Formats: sequence, C-alpha cells, structure tokens
Amino acid sequence: MNKADSKYFHAIQILEDNCTGCTACVRVCPTEAIRVRDRKASIDPYRCVDCGNCVSVCEFHAIIPASDPLDIIKNYKYRLAIISSSFFGQFSEDISYAIAKQAVLQLGFDEVAEEASVTNFMVKMIREYIRENRDKRPILSSNCPAVVRLIQVKFPSLLPNLFHQEAPMSILTRFLRDKICREKNVSDEDLGIFLIVPCVAHVTAVHQPEGAYKHLQDGAFSTGMIYGKVREIIKDVQNHPVPIDTYPHGLTWALSGVQAELVDTDDIRALSVNGIDNVMDILSRVEDHYLDQYDYIVLRSCTNGCVGGCLNVENPFVAMSRIKKMIKEGKSVDGDISEMEKLYRDGEFKVSPLAPRPIMELDKDIKKAIQKMKKINEFLTMLPGLNCSACGSPTCYALAEDIVLGKATLDDCVVLKRKPSEDDD
Amino acid sequence: MAEYWFIADGFEERVRENLQSELEAEVDLDFGIPEKDFNTAGKGSSELKNLLKRLGVDSDILRRIAVASYEAEINVAAHSQGGVMKSAVYDDHIHVRFVDEGPGIADIEQAMVPGYSTADDLVRELGFGAGLGLPNIKKNSDAMHIVSEKGASTLLEFIIYFS
Repeated sequence: MNKADSKYFHAIQILEDNCTGCTACVRVCPTEAIRVRDRKASIDPYRCVDCGNCVSVCEFHAIIPASDPLDIIKNYKYRLAIISSSFFGQFSEDISYAIAKQAVLQLGFDEVAEEASVTNFMVKMIREYIRENRDKRPILSSNCPAVVRLIQVKFPSLLPNLFHQEAPMSILTRFLRDKICREKNVSDEDLGIFLIVPCVAHVTAVHQPEGAYKHLQDGAFSTGMIYGKVREIIKDVQNHPVPIDTYPHGLTWALSGVQAELVDTDDIRALSVNGIDNVMDILSRVEDHYLDQYDYIVLRSCTNGCVGGCLNVENPFVAMSRIKKMIKEGKSVDGDISEMEKLYRDGEFKVSPLAPRPIMELDKDIKKAIQKMKKINEFLTMLPGLNCSACGSPTCYALAEDIVLGKATLDDCVVLKRKPSEDDD
Repeated sequence: MAEYWFIADGFEERVRENLQSELEAEVDLDFGIPEKDFNTAGKGSSELKNLLKRLGVDSDILRRIAVASYEAEINVAAHSQGGVMKSAVYDDHIHVRFVDEGPGIADIEQAMVPGYSTADDLVRELGFGAGLGLPNIKKNSDAMHIVSEKGASTLLEFIIYFS
C-alpha cells in the first residue's frame, strides 16, 4: 500500500483528477480536516481520524478508501484471515453464515477466524477491567479506531478513560500468531494474518496501530472487495459445503447497542452510542462529568456500529436486522477461553498509554492564543457569515482561522469577491 | 434587594482587583437564553467551552467553567422569563454574567441549599430541577455573586481563574 510521507498514515486517498472541488467532503468532516484550494480537496493528516464521512459523501469517486489487494497473501506460506463480525450481515438470506465463511476460506486462506469468537472473552475482560478501574468513570470502549483518534485530537483529557487493551481482532491476532507458529510449525515471517474490515479506520489501524507493543497484522482487506470475490465462487461453495464452526452469539460485536447490553450487569451500567456526531456530543458531556453514572460507554463512529462502516455493501439497518436474526437462531460453539485469559493476566493484550494529538488549540501560550482569537474575530466580522464553504473552508469561522494561521486569505471568500462592500465607494 | 457573595479562600484580593479594574475583556461571547427552551439551553456554555479549548485552557479548569456556565444557563431557562449570558475572557481568568428578566429569587440562602428547588412540573419532567444548580456553580467557581429581588431581575456572575 502507498504509505504517505506524513507521520500520520491514512487509508483515504484523494484522486485529484476526479475532484471537482464541490466541498461536500469539507462540510461533513467532523474534525474540519479537509480544505478545497484551487478546486482540489486535500486532507490534513494531523486532524483526520479516518471516520470515512468524506468517502461516503463524495459523488465523484474522488475520495477513495485504500485497502490492500488480495494478492499480497501470496507473500506468505501460511495465511490466516480474521473476519469482522459485521461481514456476515452483508449477504442475502439465501447465503448462510457457514457458507459465507467457507467461501472466504476458499479465496486462498489456510485458516479463517472470526472476531465473533472472542466476544465472550471480551465481555469478561471488559467487566474485569471496569471493576479494577473504578476510579476512572466512565470507561470508554476502544474498539473503534476512529473514536480512539477522535479522542486523541478533540477530547485528549479523556484518554485515561479509554479501555487500554487491544481490540478483539488484535487480541485474536496475538493469540493465534503464537498458537499457529507453535502448532503448525511456521515461522513468524511466514505467517500472514489479515483482517477483513468494514471501514477505513480499521485499515488505518492495521497499518498504523495506536499503542501496539507487538507485531499484529500484515494487511487489511475491505469487506466490499471480499464480498465481490465471494459472490463469484458462492454457487460452487453452496454445492460443496464442508462442516465449519460459527459463532452467531458473538456477532453482537458488530452492533453497538447489543454490545452494551452484554456488558451491562448488576454492578455495571453501560450506554451505547453510535454515529460520530452523537459520539462527539456524548464525549463533550463525559468531559464535564455529566455521565459519571455510567461505568462503560460503547462508542462507534458509524451508524449502528460496525455494520455502518463505509466499506460494507449492505445498508446498516438491513445488516443489523440480519445479524440479529443469526444471533437469535444460531447455535454457538463455546470456545475454551482459559488460554486467552492467561495471556490477558500476563499483560499480553495491553496497549501503551495513548498520546494526545490536540488540534483545537490556537497556540501553546494562552496570551498568544487570545491574540490569534481576536484576529480571527476581526476577520469573522468581515466575512458574510453564510457558511457556504465555497471558499473551501467548512465555515466562515474556519476561513477566519485559516487566514490568521496563514493558510488562506480574504480573497478566498467567493461572496466578498463577487459583491464589493457597499461602503467602499 | 438581596445579595449573595462567595469567594474561595485565598482569592479575595484577586477578585477585588478584577472587579474594580476597568480592563476591557480580551474576548467577549454573548448568548440569549429564551425562557423554557431546553433545546437551545446549553448552547451558550457549549460554545464557550469550544472557545476556551481553542485558547488551550487546562482541561480541569475547562470542566469547571463548562459545568458552572451550563448550570447557570439551565437555571435562567428553567426559572426565569429569559435572559442573557455574557462571557468575558481575560488572559488569566473568565468572568461570566447571567442577567434575566425576572421573577427574581425569593430567598437566596435557601436556594443555595443542595436539593432545594422551586422548579415547576414542566422543568422536572424534562429531568432538571434537582436543586443542585446553584450549589454546583458555587462548587466550581473561584467567586460567585448573586443579586436578586423578588419580582425583579436576577444577576448571577462567577469568576474562574485559569491557573
């Protein structure tokens, strides 16, 4: 994959040739990371949290989610795919859960594992963690990489509240990497572990994990791409089914609401929040200690949780309904989690304390920040206040800020340019 | 006319100086607070919080300001016929004033008792009116001042220092 020069890698690519400079992406970016200048959009890698809003809103295929091509698995002798729980909500109901899983295996993997298989373990671990960290309330879920990055840039004071353990797919990676190397007698370099993911934030997390101590995955494939390849071979797979384990009860991980219900118990009160605007509103209230009555908050950037990821093919509500049906009707294999519990107690799944990446401050020195703010307010009074984004900044305020920070000039305002001020003559 | 003063220990001198000085604020932010409009109430304090984040105000102090201004804003919406919130940001402190159009606080000392509330049913149905507003503002402020008269307007102001 094409790694940008920037310190911050993002799984989002802008194709300049396709970009018309329409500013739709500028308006939906929750961290105001996108600007259009000279009719081309560009993303500030420091501010971007990989939420995928811009990918979903672009009508011109100019903002493209980057993920790895399937061919890269050929570089490894033993290949393991780990499938995100939201994947199985993508298929129409004539394609069973087991068949879809078998089809992924037949795309060229030696083994297929599921995020859903560790759900029981995750719930147990999260509850234990909450009880051990009663001084921090509420604990915030860390599974959604876009939420983790959002907290780093906009709510850094909440970083200590994040659940400081790996996300389920990375826990499974750590666990299976050692197990497969040992049992199948393959070396660490020969073993390729790949995630099948519903969103760009997860692709970014594979290529630039936050706080990871050890080697995790070797690539991330988009659900949409894998879905297409599975559809090509599905007829053949349906005619030759093989027995395969599934974990329908664990699929709850794809749905933020159901996940919160699982963690909620007598002494733990959980809240579920999804959609990045709701997440920001809730985090702001957590900052002010208005939600201290909750012990745990599940936060997901996308609608309904991972089923809403921008790399999925199915509508998040339809996918959610299908997954709920599977949970209700399916029989789970209850895996033995004792080995994993031992690794947890040994600290194998710990992540290092996450560092803030503040984007809000105008200056480190409050006096200088105030001076900049005054200048911003001066420019703001000159601007029309339409928040039309035609200049390429999301709002008039953002343009005023860009001007003061030297990234734009008053001439960028299309409205001012067109209608000279009446008091000028 | 009744008056209530609270100044946290050690801040007496600073507060007196600040109140006497005619110094103009570095940044002003004003908001209207319509009566019983709980969809808008809270907007002023949330904008103020955003502004202070941009200035890089320490997160613990930011939280105190956010809580005090939110509680005061809700108070104006819940108990008065509407009013204004005027924030004045200086380089070392913030001074926020809330002025409403009445009907005034009958007994300020009693209003300061945690749990005491005169909120009506509408306000309580919306989940407000627990009687913790004023005590919460006091708890988070370095100085707080209320001037009120039954049947007339109320002024509530607080000062919080950045360090």
